[in-house]
Amino acid sequence: MALRIASLTKSFGGLTAVSGFNLELGDRDLQGIIGPNGAGKTTVFNLITGVYAPDSGTVRLGDREVTRLSSDALARAGIARTFQNIRLFAQMTVLDNITMALHAQAGYGLWDATFRTATFRREEARLLAESREHLARFGLLERQREQAGSLPYGEQRRLEIARALATGPKVLLLDEPAAGMNPREVEELIRLIQQVHRDFPLAILLIEHQLPVVMELCREVQVLDFGQTIASGAPREVVRNPLVIEAYLGEEEAPA
Amino acid sequence: MDTIIQQLFNAAQLGAVYALIALGYSMVYGIIRLINFAHGDIFMLGGFIGLLLTTRLGWLPFWVLMPLAMLLTALVGVAVERVAYRRLRNAQRMSVVITTLGVGIFLENLVRLTVGPETRQIPARLPSGPVVWLQQHLGAFVTWDKLWIILISLALMAVLWLVVNRTLIGTAMRAVADNKDAVPLMGVNLNLVIAVTFAIGSALAAAGGIFYGQAYSIDPYMGIDLGWKAFIAAVIGGIGSIEGAVLGSFLLAGVEVVTVAYLSSNLKNGIAFGLLILLLLVWPWGIMGRPTLKKV
Amino acid sequence: MSTAPRPDPAQPLPDTRPSRVRFWMVCAGVLALAVPLQLLVDAGLFSDVLNPYYLHVLTIIGMNIILVASLNLLNGYLGEFALGHAGFMAVGAYTAALLATRALPPASALPPVLGTVGILLVTLAGAMAAAALVGYLIGLLTFKTVGDYLAIITLGFNMIIVNAIQNIDFVGGPRGFTGIAKNTNFVAVAVCLVLTIGVLRNLVQSTFGRVWVSIRENAIAAELMGVAVARAKNRAFTIAAAFAGLAGGLWAQNQQFITPRSFDYMKTTEILVMLYLGGMASLSGSILGVVAYTLLMEVLRNLLSAFAPQLAEWRMLISPLILIVIMLTRQTGLLGNREWRWLRPRQGA
Repeated sequence: MALRIASLTKSFGGLTAVSGFNLELGDRDLQGIIGPNGAGKTTVFNLITGVYAPDSGTVRLGDREVTRLSSDALARAGIARTFQNIRLFAQMTVLDNITMALHAQAGYGLWDATFRTATFRREEARLLAESREHLARFGLLERQREQAGSLPYGEQRRLEIARALATGPKVLLLDEPAAGMNPREVEELIRLIQQVHRDFPLAILLIEHQLPVVMELCREVQVLDFGQTIASGAPREVVRNPLVIEAYLGEEEAPA
Repeated sequence: MDTIIQQLFNAAQLGAVYALIALGYSMVYGIIRLINFAHGDIFMLGGFIGLLLTTRLGWLPFWVLMPLAMLLTALVGVAVERVAYRRLRNAQRMSVVITTLGVGIFLENLVRLTVGPETRQIPARLPSGPVVWLQQHLGAFVTWDKLWIILISLALMAVLWLVVNRTLIGTAMRAVADNKDAVPLMGVNLNLVIAVTFAIGSALAAAGGIFYGQAYSIDPYMGIDLGWKAFIAAVIGGIGSIEGAVLGSFLLAGVEVVTVAYLSSNLKNGIAFGLLILLLLVWPWGIMGRPTLKKV
Repeated sequence: MSTAPRPDPAQPLPDTRPSRVRFWMVCAGVLALAVPLQLLVDAGLFSDVLNPYYLHVLTIIGMNIILVASLNLLNGYLGEFALGHAGFMAVGAYTAALLATRALPPASALPPVLGTVGILLVTLAGAMAAAALVGYLIGLLTFKTVGDYLAIITLGFNMIIVNAIQNIDFVGGPRGFTGIAKNTNFVAVAVCLVLTIGVLRNLVQSTFGRVWVSIRENAIAAELMGVAVARAKNRAFTIAAAFAGLAGGLWAQNQQFITPRSFDYMKTTEILVMLYLGGMASLSGSILGVVAYTLLMEVLRNLLSAFAPQLAEWRMLISPLILIVIMLTRQTGLLGNREWRWLRPRQGA
C-alpha cells in the first residue's frame, strides 16, 4: 500500500476545508480526486505534501507514518508533486531542472565541490548523463539547453512531470495537469501519464477537473464537495451518482 | 536627573517627532507596499529647508515659515516619487528598495555638499520660557517650546486623521491601500492619490525636522539615525497602519527615554534595533497589523 | 497560458562553444602579471608609468570584487534580499586588525616574506571565521524571513554591528582602529581574488549552486523536491559572509586605519551599486561592475580635480545617481546573468 490516509481534517479559521478524508492508494494504483472549485482538493494535496499540517488524521507512506513531516522530508521519503500553476525553475535550463532534482543523489560534499576533486567530476558526469537520459525518455533532450520558462505550455507540463519523476518517488501527485490545455494537448497528456504509469514503479494520485482525463486514467475516483467525500468508486458509476451531479450543477463542466 | 514629569514630556516630544516621521513610512507602505528608505532624509531635508527659511526669511512669523517649509518639502517628496519611484511601481521589490537607498544617499550628499556637514540649530522661534503652572504645581521644569511641539504635532496628527477618514482624497487613499489595482477602474487617478500621500508624508516629516532642529539640532546625517528609529516605530505599530505609527512612536520614545535615564545612553540605539530584529522575527505585522496567510 | 515567468526574450541563448581560454589560464595570467607589477612598484622603477597609485586602485578593485562576488552569491544566485554586507566586512576587518596588532608579532620580528604571508594567513583565516560565524547566526535567525523584511533585518544588523563597534573602546570606538601594519599588497589581493572567484565558481556550478538557484526560482517547488531550504540558505549566508570577512581582513591591513563608519550602510550601498551595475547571478558581472564603477569614479575624480577642483567631492553624488539610473533603465545590469566564456561550465549546459 503506497499511501494510506485516514480521517484527514483541516480547518482555516472557521472554515473547514477538508473533513475526514480517507484514501487507500495501492503500490501501482492510479486514482483521482474530483469536485467543484473550492471543494478542498488542492488542500488535500497540500496536507499530504506538508504545506499545511492537518488538524487531525494520519498519512502513511508505505509502513511509515509521515503525517507531520516537513515538505522536504516528505519529498525525500518518496512523495513527488506537480502544481496547478506550473512551478518550473524558469530561468534554469531544461537540463538543469532535471539535474537539480537529482541533488539528493549527488555523491559529493562542499569540499569536493570547492576543489573540484575527482569525486566531484565523476559524480557530476554521472548526474549529467542520468539527466540527459531522463530527458530523452520524455522527448525533451533536444531542448536541454533552453530556458525552461521559454518552452511551450504543453512541454513545460511535461518537463514538470519529468522533473517530479527524477526524484524516484513512490507516489506522484498531479494537481490539475490538464489545466489550460487544448484537446490535442490533453490527449498527449493522457498518453504521457499512461506511459509514466507503465514505465515507473509508482502510484499516481490525480486531481482533475476535466472528466475525460479522469475517466480514461483512474481506476477509482473520489468526489469532494465542501471538504467532504460525497462519492467514491469507479469513474463511470461515480459520474452517474445524483449527489455528484448536483454538486456540479452550476459548474461549467457538467458530467457527460 | 529630571523628574518623572519632565521625562514624560521628553518622551512625548521625542515620540511626537518620531510619529511625524513614522506616519510617512506607514502611509507610503500602506498604499504601495514600498519601504521608502529615503524618508528619513526627507525629514532631514525638511529641517534644513526650515533652517534656510528661518535664516533668510526670518521676518516672517513662525506660523507662516513652518507651513512654507512643509510645502516645499512636500514638493520634493512628490518630485522624488515622480522621478525615481513611479516607473518602478510594478518592478521587482529589490529594485525599488535599492532605489530608495540611492535616493537617500543622494539627498544626504547633496545637503552635505551644499550646506556643509556641520551640526546646526534652527534659531528658536517658539516661546521658550518655563511652563509656570507645571513648575508650581508639579515641580517640573518644562519649557513652553516643548509643550508647543507636542501640541502642534498632535494637532497635525488630528488633521491627518480627519483627512484620511473624512475627506474624499482620504477615502481614495484607503481604497488604494486596500486594493491598488482595482482603484483606477473606479475612475480614481492613482498617480494623484500616490502623489498626495507622498506630499502629506513629506510635509509631516518636514514638521518633524523643524521641531527637532528647534529642540535639538540638525545635520546632514540625522536622517539615518532618526529615520531608522521612526521606521522601527512604524514597524512596532504595524507598518501600513496610521494609528500604529503613532502608537509605536510614543512607545519607542518611552523605551528610549527610560533607557537613557536608567541604563546608558549608548544602549538606546542598540535596544531600538534589538527590538526591531525581535519584532521582525516573531511578530512582523506589529501591534495593529494583521498576519497574512500564504496561498500555495 | 503559461504562468511560469518568461525569461527575457531579448537575451540570446547562451553560446555554448567551449572556451579556448580556460579559467586556470586567466588565473595564472593574473598572478603572473601581479607579481612583477608589485615588485617593480615596490622598487620604485618606471614610477611615472607604474604609479603606485594605480596599483593602489587595482588593490581596491580586487577587494571590492571579492565583496561584490560574495554578495552576488546571496542576492544573485540565491535570490535573497540581503542588504547588510558591509557588516560582515566590518567583522572581518576588526578581527584581522585585532589579530595583527594584538595577537601576532609584527612583521619586522619575523623572516621577510614568509613572515608576512604567515601573518596574512592567520589574520585572514580569523577574519573569515569570525565573519562566517556572524553570517551563520544571522542566517539562522532569518531563515523564515523573506523579501522586504529580510532587507530590513539585514540592514538592521549592519547598523547593529556598526553601533556595537562604536561602543567598544577596546578597538577604538567611533574614533577607529589605527596603526594596523600594511601586510596586504596587490599580490596578496590578487591571490585572494583568484581563490574567491575560483571557489565561488566551483560552488555555483555544482549541485549546491543548482539548489540555490532553484530556491530563487521557486522555493516551494524546491522544497517539494526535497531541498532543505533553510540549510541551503544558511550555507549561502555563511559562505558569503566569510568572503566578505576576507575582503574586510585585507582592507584593514591595506588601509591601515578603519572606523565603524567605513562599514555602514553607505558601504553596503556602494557594494550594491557595483553588484547591480554588473549583473545578478553573474561572476563576470561582478568583476565588470566593480571595474566599471571604480574606473568611472577615478575618471570623474581626475576630471573634476583638473577642471573644477572645488567640485571634486561632488562625484559622491554620482554614485547614488548611477544606482538610480540603473534601476530605472536596465535593471539587469551590464551583463545580465551571462558569463564570460572562461567562466562558463565546460560541459556547456
